[in-house]
Amino acid sequence: MFSNYVKTAFRNLVRNKLFSFINIVGLAIGLAACALILLFVRDEYGWDDHWDRAEDIYRLETTLKFPVGSDRLSPYAPDPMKDILLDAVPEVEAITRYMDGGMSVLKDGAVMLQEGMLVDQNFFDFFNLDFVQGDAKTALGNMNNVVLSQRVATSFFGEEPAFGQTISIRIGGQFRDFRVAGIIPNPVADTEIHHDFIIPFNREYFVGSRWFTEDWRFLYRNVFLKFVPGTNIEGMRALLPGLVEQHRPKRDEDIGQETARTVELHLLSLADAHLYSHAATSDPDVLKGFIGLAALILLIAVANFLNLSMARTSSRAREVAMRKVVGASRKQIVQQFLGEATALALIAMAVGFVMVEVSLPYYNEFLSAVVELDFFAGPGIAIGGLMLVIAVGLVAGSFQATYFALLRPRDVLYSNMSSDHSTGRLRGTLVVAQFTISIALMVGAFFVNKQTDYARTLDLGFNPENLVVVSGTNSNQSDTFKKRLLESPYIVSVGRSSDVPTRGSEDRLTMRPVASEELVTLDGLPTDPDFFTVFEIPLIAGRYLSDTEADYLRRNAGEGEYRERTNIVVNKSGAELLGFADPAAAVGQTVPTNLTPTQYLEATIIGVVDDFHFDSARDVIRPGIYYLDERRLSEMTVRLDRYNRDAAIAELEQVWRDMFPDQVLSYQYMSSLVEQQYQTEDQLSSALMAFTLLAIIISCLGLYGLASFAVDRRTKEIGIRRVLGASFTDVTFMLIWQFSKPIIIALFVALPVALYLVRDWLNGFAYRIELDAVPFAGVALIAIIIGWATVAGHAFKVARANPVKALRYE
Amino acid sequence: MLKLHNLSKVYRTDEVETVALDNVNIEIESGEFVAIMGPSGCGKSTLLNIIGMLDSPSDGDYVFMDENVAGYPESKLSNIRKQNIGFIFQSFNLIDELTVEENIELALLYHNIPASERRERVARVMDKVGIAHRAKHMPSQLSGGQQQRVAVARAVVGDQAMILADEPTGNLDSAHGQEVMEMLQSLNNEGTTIVMVTHSPSHADYARRTINLFDGHVVTENLRAAG
Repeated sequence: MFSNYVKTAFRNLVRNKLFSFINIVGLAIGLAACALILLFVRDEYGWDDHWDRAEDIYRLETTLKFPVGSDRLSPYAPDPMKDILLDAVPEVEAITRYMDGGMSVLKDGAVMLQEGMLVDQNFFDFFNLDFVQGDAKTALGNMNNVVLSQRVATSFFGEEPAFGQTISIRIGGQFRDFRVAGIIPNPVADTEIHHDFIIPFNREYFVGSRWFTEDWRFLYRNVFLKFVPGTNIEGMRALLPGLVEQHRPKRDEDIGQETARTVELHLLSLADAHLYSHAATSDPDVLKGFIGLAALILLIAVANFLNLSMARTSSRAREVAMRKVVGASRKQIVQQFLGEATALALIAMAVGFVMVEVSLPYYNEFLSAVVELDFFAGPGIAIGGLMLVIAVGLVAGSFQATYFALLRPRDVLYSNMSSDHSTGRLRGTLVVAQFTISIALMVGAFFVNKQTDYARTLDLGFNPENLVVVSGTNSNQSDTFKKRLLESPYIVSVGRSSDVPTRGSEDRLTMRPVASEELVTLDGLPTDPDFFTVFEIPLIAGRYLSDTEADYLRRNAGEGEYRERTNIVVNKSGAELLGFADPAAAVGQTVPTNLTPTQYLEATIIGVVDDFHFDSARDVIRPGIYYLDERRLSEMTVRLDRYNRDAAIAELEQVWRDMFPDQVLSYQYMSSLVEQQYQTEDQLSSALMAFTLLAIIISCLGLYGLASFAVDRRTKEIGIRRVLGASFTDVTFMLIWQFSKPIIIALFVALPVALYLVRDWLNGFAYRIELDAVPFAGVALIAIIIGWATVAGHAFKVARANPVKALRYE
Repeated sequence: MLKLHNLSKVYRTDEVETVALDNVNIEIESGEFVAIMGPSGCGKSTLLNIIGMLDSPSDGDYVFMDENVAGYPESKLSNIRKQNIGFIFQSFNLIDELTVEENIELALLYHNIPASERRERVARVMDKVGIAHRAKHMPSQLSGGQQQRVAVARAVVGDQAMILADEPTGNLDSAHGQEVMEMLQSLNNEGTTIVMVTHSPSHADYARRTINLFDGHVVTENLRAAG
């Protein structure tokens, strides 16, 4: 019995090669695309789930709120919270903290830059690692120990054993020797804990560092809490505002004034950190979009599979009727077709699996910055996939099975009546559904792509070309360094600031507008007088800041006191926010501003610059205020002579070596910083395009299969039409029209839906493209042309055939 | 073998009501060879379908082997059918994807017969109808006469007590037609009840009795002298 089913099923497949191919490959492509998307999404949701008791570990993050203006989101938490929480909350089992950053490492006379972590002693209690060498319990016991990942050990020591060796690390302004006391595995791809280079945190390194203050003022450490298993986290969250209220200093200790900002703390599960942290490197909305995309592609593929299976029912009606005549029960017929469809779906899954395996390396490469995939990460994916495919098979099979179970043998065995009619409408609906999805995806992909391109061409308000940003230039030698650079003929200009565009500002300053008592918030940026010229930010009123005493808020020399009054520059939005009718009106006005952490100063606006992007180009340009503070200039931006860039870089490196022989020069091109902002969106946009293309291919496969099927069925009818005088053109157009109809219906459904969704999506962008009708019309045209191209071959063939032959064949 | 009592069949659509069979009373003894004749549309095939339990009567009784099966559900009919009745069609109705022997075997597949016995019985019946040398061929590779012999083999391989043949010679030339008729006759001689619909008077002559249908009524029943 079974072998008989297999034989009929298999021979049917072989006999209808085209059908079988389309049926299997269509579903396989759909399943493969769906699998690739879901693997990616699953990976994104599964970050940092490999740590022991990961479910009990939470990250503590902070939102700083200001009386007016936007909040500042920090992935870190105030240092005092450690003791507060351990004292007040018994459910908190332990807390570990670390700060991360780049360090200079001296090895055999060469200085290298290494990203490292300064951790609390209990770091490995939270982030358990199987030490390759050394011991998790003792590795951090000595302040002069360092723990290296295998890859970092290799990068420093090559083939030599690293364990027990000594390396010199520049920390707290001087090189210190550390002994390699542990070798740990490399961080996995999907972790936010980049444990490559670990040193025990030592308060001594920061003695005298003004910015390192273990109070509520500065946030710089990652804080992780481990709760007692089973702790009600909602309850813990509810405790936080009270604890903050109780312990946060209400008054600023320096000047006895009330602090304007308030602090809000958040608990974020370790697993959520990748997606929802204030430092999130991924976007959950995008992932949801991708899940939707996977569902749509699967829907198209399943519709296709159903459709083609049903199209074949009539050709198998005789077989089923005969089986019934010789005694097959309904149940047996149902089993046969459910089994057959499921088997077919499983074959498609196998083919899809091969497709996934083959494309995985390219896919990984394509999404390089985002993800790395491991197909066999767990049994869940295999079982889930299998269940899904069996369900697809059963659904597809159930249509056929029901149809055949109800089939009356006499209808088939005694008549020439086509049994196609009963499924025709459902199949038509499925084609419409497929094309509706494909068309909507096309529109979506088009606008996502266009918006991404648009963001790239957006005028940033400054000129990022030929700019190099040198980090770590806040030493007392930096001014000399700047002067030395300017001696080079290849270096056009040099400007300094505490931050550079694309990275955003962390300072929120409040000012009192001239005509109002209501305070407003502006982003503050400490610069030097050359900042605007280096970035080529146009002046629209007044003058730039200059190297005169009156323009400085604070100088390096002396005790570093703030001046009582200073000159500032604001941007155009800032001038508007402050209530000036036009930029020129702002010049010369004095506005009280909290330029120091503690007090309001009389700040006189001496110039207004045009708006420029300081945060992501995605965001609206915020009102900004710029002032000279020599103590907060850690970034140096160098404009290179565009014709001598290499020479300029060589010069830069030479001057650095001369001046800071024991430090690593760390620089980045401004253009690549800008580029980085678009990278993820570019990838997502390309991924959407690729998957849309696949959806269209699957839909077209289905349409092609149906056309070939319909043409077979209608050979006789068309023969009669030809005999009765229909011309070749008449018949061709009749057939093409028949297959254009579902696409046209699909257009009517898809375009309004796409319009609605695209508009909604674009509204999320501050700077966005305009919606116009042309792309919609274009997509409509493309869809129809694709449909025509798909069926034209069949139409020509059948229209050209000799009608006599068609009629004789019965 | 079977008895039809006041049996009627009415086809209804939204607009029309067509009476295919009207108060038909027929009795067929075990071992009989009955031919049903009549013009196109007189209800021959409907009658055969009802006898073959592929269709149910609208009214009246159908007693098959002492059991009134009128109104039985499909599953029960299917079971009686597979035990007792074999079919031969004008258009052969062989399954294109199966070989000759697999087509014949199909009739045994739904009987819970072990594979070895199935093979044996298929071989025997192929010998009987003279198609053994074509066992591995596909239907499309056979002549019409050969295909109908396969169909005959399929109808009898389950040792059915009754064979229903609907114009078994309609698609065959006269030589092949005769061949099939002789085959049916020899089956009848071995005790199989045969009910055959035909247009051909000469083929009807093979039967012991001819029932003439017209507009859903039995018009005449001619009994042919034995011999």
